[in-house]
Amino acid sequence: MSAPADQLPPGWAAEWDATHQRYLFIETASGHTQWDPPAAGPVGLENAPTGSPPPVHHGKRRQYAAGQTQAYYSGDAAAADPTYAAQGAGLQAQPQQGQLFTPGLAVENQFAAQQQQGGQPSAGAGQPSYYAQGEPEYINGPAFNQQPQYGQPQAPVDALAGQFGQMGMGGQKQFQLYTTNLLTSPPEPRDLQRPPPEIRLPPNSCISPSPTANADPSYFRSTINAIPTTSSLLSKSKLPLALIITPYRSLNDGEEAVPLVSDAVIARCRRCRTYINPYVQFIDGGNRWRCCMCNMTNEVPQLFDWDQIRNQPGDRWARAELNQSCIEFVAPTEYMVRPPQPAVYVFLIDVSHTAVQSGMVATATRTILENLDRIPDEEGRTKVAIICYDVSLYFFSLPQGTTDSSMLVVSDIDDVFLPKPTDLLVNITESRASLEALLGRIGDMFQENSIIGSAMGPALQAGFKLMAPIGGKIIVLSSTLPSVGAGALKNREDPKILGTAKESGLLQAASPFYKTFAIECSRTQVSVDMFLFSASYQDVATLACLPHYTSGQTYYYPAFNAGRTEDAMKFAHEFGELLATPIMLEAVMRVRASRGLRMASFHGNFFVRSTDLLAMPAVPQDQSYAIEVQIEEAITTPFVVFQTAVLHTTCYGERRIRVITLALPTTTNLSEVFASADQVAIITFFANKAVERSLTHKLEDSRDYVFQKLVELLVSYKTSMTSSGAGASAQLAISDNLKMLPVLVLGLLKNVGIRQSAQIPPDIRAYSQALLTSLPSQLLIPYIYPTFYSLHNMPPEAGTIGEDGVVLPPSLPLTSERFERHGLFLIEDGQTIFLYVGRDAVPQLIQDVFDLPSYDVLRGGKTTLRPLENPFSQRVNAVVQKIREMRRGVYYPHLYIVKDDGEPPLRLWALSMLIQDRADVLPSYQQFISSLKDKVNGAGGTGY
Amino acid sequence: MSGWLFLFTVLYSAGLLFGMIFVVIMFSDLESDYINPIDFCNKLNSFVIPEYAAHGFLALLFLLFGQWTALLWNLPLLAWNINKVMNNAHMYDATEIFRSLPGHQKEAYFKIGFYSVSFFYYLYRMIAAFVADSEF
Repeated sequence: MSAPADQLPPGWAAEWDATHQRYLFIETASGHTQWDPPAAGPVGLENAPTGSPPPVHHGKRRQYAAGQTQAYYSGDAAAADPTYAAQGAGLQAQPQQGQLFTPGLAVENQFAAQQQQGGQPSAGAGQPSYYAQGEPEYINGPAFNQQPQYGQPQAPVDALAGQFGQMGMGGQKQFQLYTTNLLTSPPEPRDLQRPPPEIRLPPNSCISPSPTANADPSYFRSTINAIPTTSSLLSKSKLPLALIITPYRSLNDGEEAVPLVSDAVIARCRRCRTYINPYVQFIDGGNRWRCCMCNMTNEVPQLFDWDQIRNQPGDRWARAELNQSCIEFVAPTEYMVRPPQPAVYVFLIDVSHTAVQSGMVATATRTILENLDRIPDEEGRTKVAIICYDVSLYFFSLPQGTTDSSMLVVSDIDDVFLPKPTDLLVNITESRASLEALLGRIGDMFQENSIIGSAMGPALQAGFKLMAPIGGKIIVLSSTLPSVGAGALKNREDPKILGTAKESGLLQAASPFYKTFAIECSRTQVSVDMFLFSASYQDVATLACLPHYTSGQTYYYPAFNAGRTEDAMKFAHEFGELLATPIMLEAVMRVRASRGLRMASFHGNFFVRSTDLLAMPAVPQDQSYAIEVQIEEAITTPFVVFQTAVLHTTCYGERRIRVITLALPTTTNLSEVFASADQVAIITFFANKAVERSLTHKLEDSRDYVFQKLVELLVSYKTSMTSSGAGASAQLAISDNLKMLPVLVLGLLKNVGIRQSAQIPPDIRAYSQALLTSLPSQLLIPYIYPTFYSLHNMPPEAGTIGEDGVVLPPSLPLTSERFERHGLFLIEDGQTIFLYVGRDAVPQLIQDVFDLPSYDVLRGGKTTLRPLENPFSQRVNAVVQKIREMRRGVYYPHLYIVKDDGEPPLRLWALSMLIQDRADVLPSYQQFISSLKDKVNGAGGTGY
Repeated sequence: MSGWLFLFTVLYSAGLLFGMIFVVIMFSDLESDYINPIDFCNKLNSFVIPEYAAHGFLALLFLLFGQWTALLWNLPLLAWNINKVMNNAHMYDATEIFRSLPGHQKEAYFKIGFYSVSFFYYLYRMIAAFVADSEF
């Protein structure tokens, strides 16, 4: 197909419209669009007399071309614009440069050529010139005309080029594989903090020198950082190939916002729809680009070299999409099915007797009230509605401008209807007064409510009806098992079947309502968040289906009682943070990959709408998704590219596309595959896989699966990478970068979500499984492998403010061998913090930290630690505070004091976090490793 | 008499065969994204029970007419279907469809094979019965 872009009159651009399968013609100056090709004559005439930007743009554009592709445009361009022709000649004086970077071709030659050209500011060689001068506009800017720019002192430029060359050389360095013997090297917690194996791309594969041109592991990481070229090589290594994506993560302090491309110039491959990224090649002197995934040649949009804001030529090499891996585009109307929706929050509050008694209602309404200002509402468009429910539904009409609100009761829950067409879903700003008044009153209103039972299903249907035309977020707060109406559930908890093969049945949805309703929600862009508070069985497994398929999240506060300040604080903090975080609405996510790679299966909170399209009505921050990748055919390119695109509406009413690009080298060498494996990504993937298996099969199968995977991996490593081959070996070898994998697998096997035990209530398990499948790596790793600190003898700088905030003590391996009877220890997994007090703790320590005279007076359990007037207490508090704040996500861990001789359940719970110890039937790390060794050597019975 | 029975079952199993081919076509439609999983499941779920019932009816006919070989041939599938209904696993679940698709496809191909073998077996029995009838 010949692109009409070439035949366009000046000032016009053509863009292929996928939905209509034809070109859309855009007048760049005015933004006017039309379907019919513009006629050259009239437009030219129109523009000529005014001398408006388009002709200028035209000239500059041609000038660029003249410099680069004299051969293509011959004398034509020169005749059209003499000034630029002269410049063109100046450029021509340089040795003509051929194609740009072609990693597929002779890399060496290209590399040499690149180095030679390094010093020359030729527009085509984007990287070195960009580097050498660091001046964004030099191509077309005023400096371009000045001869001295060319005569720059050669030495520094060469030095820079040399530097660049060295950077490039990095790509040719082989991965060094260091083998570790697991039997002699105990796990070292610090290893988990190490970054994943470096991504060593072949030289010249990236057109940008920017260090952020490849994805940050916190956004996008792969289990293997050097992709095997064939599936047989991959299966030989026994490593899983999967991507771990956190497309919408919160920004660290001091981190810059994701760069935004706001000029609506979105260059995409015509065939595979890949967005332009730093790994494409420009060919034909920069007029076309070759897609890095499918090799298709595409036109470069004319506006790429035009700065629309200042209306002057721009520098394409400075464009964010060619320099950054993670960017956002402002999406034009082609990407919308309707105008951007406002953010909508519907709160469904359980006001049954139990809920009111636990203080949940009062805490929740107060939290909403306090956080009304933090709910994202920049444009004043955000809407909220509040529906309370017990066995009937209570709607609240909130008219504008008054403080009055009226309650409308609907007790017909079999056929839910909205009692009033308006004023139920109201604008926060407009109805602020009545909203505040209502939130202040709800607690009192239902204070005397003695009704027991919950019509959660009908309440969901009502909330859904209310917001279905817009979409948004439903936040359900529930203290009881839904008992009436649609979606009523039965108490199916049966202690007898815990720990048996039937247990996985309890982790599956009991009622189809929560799946079909989830699908309806997904269709109408409604996302559901669940806050669950029950002290008794609440069927978290079934209720968690709704958040799971509508990309929400489940929060569980077992036996919530607002009478305890800790409970109230935790819930209020997490709920408040949730309300304050900006969300992405109406999102779809797609991951594209280079030819030969296919996204095989998807794990996480979303609905899979087609083979590769994930529907997410609202994307919360800091949720992670795992995607298994299959190598379908042999890969011939030296590197592959993965690209995640999330089309979404921000909660500020702008349609955007977030694009994250990850480029990884390929390899035919098994040792490189091993040396580049990322243990953190692997365990994240295993966690997802294990949970999936525990639902489709049995809990036992899921444990066996993970264990078996590890054994296969070790066997494969032993046979192919060590001298012992297939024979027995006295060692248990693994590459250095994977040496924490066995202990992480052990941690996963001992995690509440899939642990072998007959004691774990199904609700706790289901919640833990929801966490395992949605936490980003940063939170998941401590959840699987908790951190353990010794506080009584922490180094003097620990707990004080250092360069990166509060300094944490060194973390210890998770074994009770490290306990000392007189010590104070801290164990935390990101969800809970335990302060473990040794029984011989000196009174001074107890006095300093807890303000109590002696160990005997100290009581175990949930607590709030008050900072006291002594340095040790302040340091301990600083450490606790730091632990609560250092990770992403809304979680605010509870602090428990655990006494060495305190109540057994609490003590066992705390000790169960020391996963390297033996507990009940679960093996210690030593036992686990030796059973692994037996398995790997082909001996040894079943199990681990 | 049994000739007429088998004539009926030949036509009947042909109908079931076409039904399964329709299902397989739907699967490939889903894979190539011509239909979204929600519509796909709604559409196919309305055919699941009728298909099982039809097959059950066939087995019932063989039972009533005392065609023990034919009944024996149909029993495994009947048991399989009943087991699925008992476990509440017979419906297509839109939320998990892409995960369970390979399994469903395998089952559909197997059923196509089963119904086509049935078709030829009934055809043979029909001809054999009519030939036997005409000899008297």
